[in-house]
Amino acid sequence: MAADEPGHQVHVINIDIQDNHEEATLGGFLICELATILTSCEDLDNDIDEALQEFEIKRVIICAVCVFDMSVSVANKVKHPLQFTVLAQCPTTKARVGKMVLPHSEVDTPVFMPVGTQGTMKGLLPQEIEATGSKLILGNTYHLGHRPGSSLIAAQGGLHRFMKWDHGLLTDSGGFQMVSLLKLAEITEEGVRFQSPYDGSASVLTPERSIEIQNEIGADIIMQLDDVVSSTCPDRDRVEEAMHRTVRWLDRCLEAHQRKADQSLFPIVQGGLHEGLRKQCVEELLKRDVSGYAIGGLSGGESKDQFWRMVQVSTDLLPKDKPRYLMGVGVAVDLVVCVALGCDMFDCVFPTRTARFGCALVDEGQLNLSKSKFQKDFRPIDDSCPCSTCSRHSRAFLHQIATHETSACHLLSVHNITFQMRLMRRMAEAIRTRSFPEFIQQFMLKVFPEKDYPTWISDSLRAVGVTLVN
Amino acid sequence: RPGPERVSKLGGLHEFARWPYPILTDSGGFQVMSLSALRKMSEQGVTFKSHIDGAKFEMSPERSIEIQALLDSDIQMQLDECIALPADATEIERAMELSLRWADRSLTAFHTQSDHNARAMFGIVQGGDNEALRVKSAQALGAMNMKGYSIGGLAVGEPQDVMMRMLDVTCPELPHEKPRYLMGVGTPDDMLKAIARGVDMFDCVMPTRAGRHGQAFTRYGKINLRNARHADDPRPLDENSTCPAARDYSRAYLHHLVRANESLGGMLLTWNNLSYYQDIMQGARDAIEAGTYADYMAATSEGWERGDLPVYAA
Repeated sequence: MAADEPGHQVHVINIDIQDNHEEATLGGFLICELATILTSCEDLDNDIDEALQEFEIKRVIICAVCVFDMSVSVANKVKHPLQFTVLAQCPTTKARVGKMVLPHSEVDTPVFMPVGTQGTMKGLLPQEIEATGSKLILGNTYHLGHRPGSSLIAAQGGLHRFMKWDHGLLTDSGGFQMVSLLKLAEITEEGVRFQSPYDGSASVLTPERSIEIQNEIGADIIMQLDDVVSSTCPDRDRVEEAMHRTVRWLDRCLEAHQRKADQSLFPIVQGGLHEGLRKQCVEELLKRDVSGYAIGGLSGGESKDQFWRMVQVSTDLLPKDKPRYLMGVGVAVDLVVCVALGCDMFDCVFPTRTARFGCALVDEGQLNLSKSKFQKDFRPIDDSCPCSTCSRHSRAFLHQIATHETSACHLLSVHNITFQMRLMRRMAEAIRTRSFPEFIQQFMLKVFPEKDYPTWISDSLRAVGVTLVN
Repeated sequence: RPGPERVSKLGGLHEFARWPYPILTDSGGFQVMSLSALRKMSEQGVTFKSHIDGAKFEMSPERSIEIQALLDSDIQMQLDECIALPADATEIERAMELSLRWADRSLTAFHTQSDHNARAMFGIVQGGDNEALRVKSAQALGAMNMKGYSIGGLAVGEPQDVMMRMLDVTCPELPHEKPRYLMGVGTPDDMLKAIARGVDMFDCVMPTRAGRHGQAFTRYGKINLRNARHADDPRPLDENSTCPAARDYSRAYLHHLVRANESLGGMLLTWNNLSYYQDIMQGARDAIEAGTYADYMAATSEGWERGDLPVYAA
């Protein structure tokens, strides 16, 4: 059976086997038996029904038999392990709802990706992460590459198997942490030169090495190594140099990428706070064959006014039929604005980090549960929230344990990630029902009940056709 | 913290922590020993200086029972004085006699609770490592007709064989048809040996504390996940376990989490340890019913002895 030829038909037989060792062993033998029966059929398509019926007399139950044409999925699997479809477009703003199909999961966009830095989300079991609605999470290449190391992860079957996460994974390139965490990191054309903080030895993270590490980790989406310059860098020449180098490094990353069939490599739009440079960068990136684009170099120390304008410029120029990933964003208001500006994917440590400080996220902002005003507040954090924390515990209880007990951090992380996921879903629903502008107005009114909206929010929303309530 | 009156207003401990099953509270007697630098004793009770904010608070048998009633636990403990071992005989006797008088006061206070019939208060046998004093304490408490009896003041630094000898002497003196609760014990080995001597109930921080420090209790003995030998090991802790923490996660991942100081590591190992402790208790119950407890003890210990290193490494 030449099942790898496009256009060939395949029979898929589901067999129900209970998840324990005895059943698995028995099931294994029965499957071998079935395979023997089927290979002895002279005309499989004709004889398969009878063969299966006879087999069904045994203990194992056969759930479904179907025939499908693998040509489409095989062809796509070879070319692009990421399918993105825009399902709805907001008629007013640039927001859209999409569906992204990855090797390990289907992801609805706009999507917020929680960050599981060291191959775990602080104190959450994989099934708890699942229960928040997350289908795509982040791992940090710098941290994982250092400990436990990418070859160890590869030897254990890749990060999915290592951390028992069955859904989507995205890894960053390691470059950002290098530059932000290491005292002596120097960027050259070769890569990021740094001194190991452990033994002082000199090392360099090249585009090739970053991709090699990410190939070993095995995430569904990987990021190019970019020359990331702080958004507050005043030296335009440096920003321009970084932009051009980012493009050159993209080509080196694409060249080095060994797993194009199951990992999508995203380039990163750089160019600092200079519209012209961003335009140039996008033009170059469009010449390369990729499935999605990240917008980088923002959410650093730049003003919010500069921030939104660069996001706007980037999304105006990037293709509509591919996902746009705005790196390092963020808090709820930022997410709402940037969805309106046309971004599809986001990541941020904020919800999990603020949980560790005893803060719970709600539409209005943050509840700092360690404050004494919550001592006698018996309500859940949010009575419209379906998360396990809100269905079990009161603010009063959380107040008692916030910042004292590690379980407080976990309980709040569960809630905060669920909050972010729900926000994404609510926005998607509003976009689909053509009521996103109203959603934005209501949301901003909750955050700023005195209607003292920050200028950057009014400006950015006005730029996409939304006027806030006055 | 948070304070018994506050917990009571919030509906009691079950409601507060959303734990719908039985809760047992201790009395504060252990802290008399463990926080001995911060307390003053008298016949009336103990005055503690809070280890959190230095404020003074009084703990008498009456107050301890009152606190436990406010917390609304199902099983309460008398206030007793627990002393560290080794100690000399006069000290042990003094503390034991005081604990008996406090048992009486605790029980009286307990009986003033309107719903005390729906709960229990246990007396606590003291007497250090002195056989005669242990017997005296057990007999005196037995005569007070309580719903259950704790054995306190053990696992406080004495060798295991001393603890076992005290159990040999104490258990036969306690009413046969009432539960015996060995406080603060222990390792799986301690527990199996104590069960053989007639103990019914145990409590210990060991499984949770060890879990937080990277240690797993398994049928192969105690496994230290910090050890480098686990770094590349794709095997789970115990593929035959029904506990997902033991069965579904590789040692390599657990090792990574523990070395990376990630709380998920402590959580998974705690989960494993609590499951394993419940497993051995269930195993003990099954074996006792089948009349094969001695064999069960031997087979379990043998498994711990054998360990988990593959044969070729031995």
